[in-house]
Amino acid sequence: MSSTSAIVARRTERPEPARARRRLRLGGMPLALLLAAVLVALVVLLPVGVTIVQGLQGGVSAALNAIDASSPRTLLLHSFLVALVAAPLAGLLGVTAAWFIERTRLPGRRLWMLLAVVPLTMPLFVTSYAWATLGTLLQGFLGAAGIIAFSYYPIVFLLCAVSLRGMDPALEETARSLGLNARQTFFRVVVPQLRPALLGGMLLVVLDTLVEFDAFVALKYQTFTVHIYAQYELSFSASGAAALSFFSIVLCVLLLFAESRLRGGANYTRVSQGVRRPLTRYRLGRATVPVLLWFVAGAVISVGIPVGTLIYWFTQTSEAGLADASANVRYLWPATVTSVGLGIGGSLLALLYALPVALLVVRFRGRVSTVLERATYLTFALPDLVAAIALAYAASHYAPRLYGSLALLVLAESMLFVPFAVVAMRATLGQIEPALEDSARSLGAGPLRAFARVTMPLARPGMAAAGVLVFAFILGDLGTAQVLLPPNLYTLGTEFQANASTVAFAAAAPFAAVLVALAMLAAYVLMSRFGEVRALGDG
Amino acid sequence: MSELRCQGLAKSYRGRAVLRDVDLEVPAGTLTAILGASGSGKTTLLRAIIGFIELDAGTVSLDGHTVAEGDRVHVASDKRKIGYVAQEGALFPHLNAGENVGFGLARSERRRGARIDQALELVGLDGSYAERPAHELSGGEQRRVALARALAPRPGIVLLDEPFSGLDAALRVETREAVLHALQEEGTTALLVTHDQAEALSMGREVAVLREGRLAQRAAPTALYRTPADADVAQFVGQATILPGSARAGEVQCALGRLALANPGREGAVEVMIRPEQIEIVRAGAHGYGQGEGSGVGARVLDYAYFGADTVVRLALEEASPTVVLARTFEHQIPVPGEPVELAVRGAVVVFAPPAAGAGEPHADPLNRASDEPQASEP
Repeated sequence: MSSTSAIVARRTERPEPARARRRLRLGGMPLALLLAAVLVALVVLLPVGVTIVQGLQGGVSAALNAIDASSPRTLLLHSFLVALVAAPLAGLLGVTAAWFIERTRLPGRRLWMLLAVVPLTMPLFVTSYAWATLGTLLQGFLGAAGIIAFSYYPIVFLLCAVSLRGMDPALEETARSLGLNARQTFFRVVVPQLRPALLGGMLLVVLDTLVEFDAFVALKYQTFTVHIYAQYELSFSASGAAALSFFSIVLCVLLLFAESRLRGGANYTRVSQGVRRPLTRYRLGRATVPVLLWFVAGAVISVGIPVGTLIYWFTQTSEAGLADASANVRYLWPATVTSVGLGIGGSLLALLYALPVALLVVRFRGRVSTVLERATYLTFALPDLVAAIALAYAASHYAPRLYGSLALLVLAESMLFVPFAVVAMRATLGQIEPALEDSARSLGAGPLRAFARVTMPLARPGMAAAGVLVFAFILGDLGTAQVLLPPNLYTLGTEFQANASTVAFAAAAPFAAVLVALAMLAAYVLMSRFGEVRALGDG
Repeated sequence: MSELRCQGLAKSYRGRAVLRDVDLEVPAGTLTAILGASGSGKTTLLRAIIGFIELDAGTVSLDGHTVAEGDRVHVASDKRKIGYVAQEGALFPHLNAGENVGFGLARSERRRGARIDQALELVGLDGSYAERPAHELSGGEQRRVALARALAPRPGIVLLDEPFSGLDAALRVETREAVLHALQEEGTTALLVTHDQAEALSMGREVAVLREGRLAQRAAPTALYRTPADADVAQFVGQATILPGSARAGEVQCALGRLALANPGREGAVEVMIRPEQIEIVRAGAHGYGQGEGSGVGARVLDYAYFGADTVVRLALEEASPTVVLARTFEHQIPVPGEPVELAVRGAVVVFAPPAAGAGEPHADPLNRASDEPQASEP
């Protein structure tokens, strides 16, 4: 038409901008973003590097001796067995919960959603004490595998729920029009598309299993990490513990590699960009009662046990432990302040680390971004105790002013949970169409401005969820705090542990209660914000 | 091939009626196009027929078998054997083209692969496409694969939801031909939803115009274009000039003179509908034109829209000065704005009952051609 040709003509007449600045790019990626992500990966990998140096300090033979003395094969097998049972179970629990909550007319969906997230934010050391006090049946392998599956399935749930929400309803409708019933459609269309979310979630479960400590000690299950702790406590030999950590580092790398092979190129985005309709929900009909029972059973095991035990501890307070508990209450407020402060500082820092990595992965998908993202996962290679020791060691040698300060602890906590921050951020950023940023750019905004004015406002709920997730993990982290907490300070976790380890459960109860309350709060934020993007009309 | 019959379909969302009493018949082996603006309820109609949504009232039957009846009967979509091509194709991203096409086939047939190749061939794609991942296909190829996937299980009827939206003009024509060819080859009944007038007119044996959830008119393309049911339909299926007039004895008197009626019978005050190609421009000074009635009506060129093959000129009549008419010219020479011309009307014109008092100027800018904008979401 005449009007468009006029526009084209005008554009060619316009002179080139005088100060055309070339933005530096490498392999199509903006150099600044790439450098930031590399820097983050290096920072996050610092403890791993230090650990390797520490482990080799006594010479290779000393390292080999330490490894030899620990019958590593049996211990590794133990960790593996737990992961082998816990990961698929967590996968099953997570996918079914996500599907029933997101895609059916299950009664009480918001409640079930909350209950499906709470186990993740609940400190594992509280949950594991609760399991341990239930009796010997839950101790050993059964308890170890169970507690991992039931505490970490929410990560699978959250990832799959986001994935389900973003799925194009036309795909399922097309399958139905081709003669598939609801069940067939689920297995042939929905599950294949959930594969990236499912595998990613299960990978996190497996990695967590390898470095889990508190739960396994409480449930008296001997794994590699438990042995590393014992090694450290017995001999105070940092180099011995570090040498043993070689195993988990290698294992972690192998797992990351295996998962990337398994996932292949599967990163399903919508092939078509058509009209998006709200997803239809299936009627459960006669299945309502069995499904509800399934959810009740899951909630009883994952949330009922720790909360119930906590209530039981409080009833004990009224009898013998009363004096104990009241004596401890004056520590409650300072411990809460320290814990919350630590959590906020650590999570903000973790968000900062995670941002360039998440942006790179979402916007510039490829080998480089994937390697960088997975490099941050290597923090899982180290039990938190070993990582904390490594950082303390590094600080004492190269940054004496940091050594023994609260700042070092904040730094350590933020590094440990970067992978979770990346996962949560990806879930949100992945839903913001690049076209929106492109539009902002075409309107004259630079990349930073476009991010600040378009991406960030849209991603705010998801960013909040990422921060809350890290916050909850920091509250639930004990090993790092035990090593790096300045001597005059205490957290909810360390106070709980100090009392619970001497079986003074009534005295531990108030600290656990605050932790559980914070966990519930965090779960509520996570449930409503994880992977969410602000939509039109939201305030 | 199946015959589709819909009677009295109604559906409302939160008190807002989206479909009201829609009757539709699609004879076996033919293609009917449903034409409607965004929000007219056409996608809802399609989804109700296929069974993705449940109707409030009305019946849908295929070859005499009722698959939906009000809120009493609702055969699940997977049991209806209705093929469906979603907007933009909706190919399964985790499968390649061949696996997509074989998706609805029985396992044995899928393994053999003959039907997959056959279906791909139907839509004009050779067997080498089978191995291509869904996301590596171009937009047009995606639509073709989506149709092949819908046709592979040999459904009696296929429903197509805006199958060509988002394709560029040339690809649209090409893909349209491939689709028509495939449907014809299989003898499949088809119902196609579109907001594109040209697409509806050129593809459908019949075109049904849907407006605010109601079927405004259902007719063969030529009848729809030449004798639309009312002024709105007239302007929706093509460009038109609507003028007030007075009808008497098979003729109508209006600002363009005395014209013959294509739909005689109405007397008194009417609205006269004249298609742009019925109005010819006679340049000032060029005499000897317009042998018939109404020759030599003076007008002035306002502006024009050039489409390549033709040009649509907007003109102001000199005598009744606010009156604007549209004329389509295939002349090489494009008129200059401001130029005085004379107009002549060819052929008979259609008249409608005049709008109710107080309706005012109901018609939008007549120069706006069919908009190709993607359709906004419908509930």
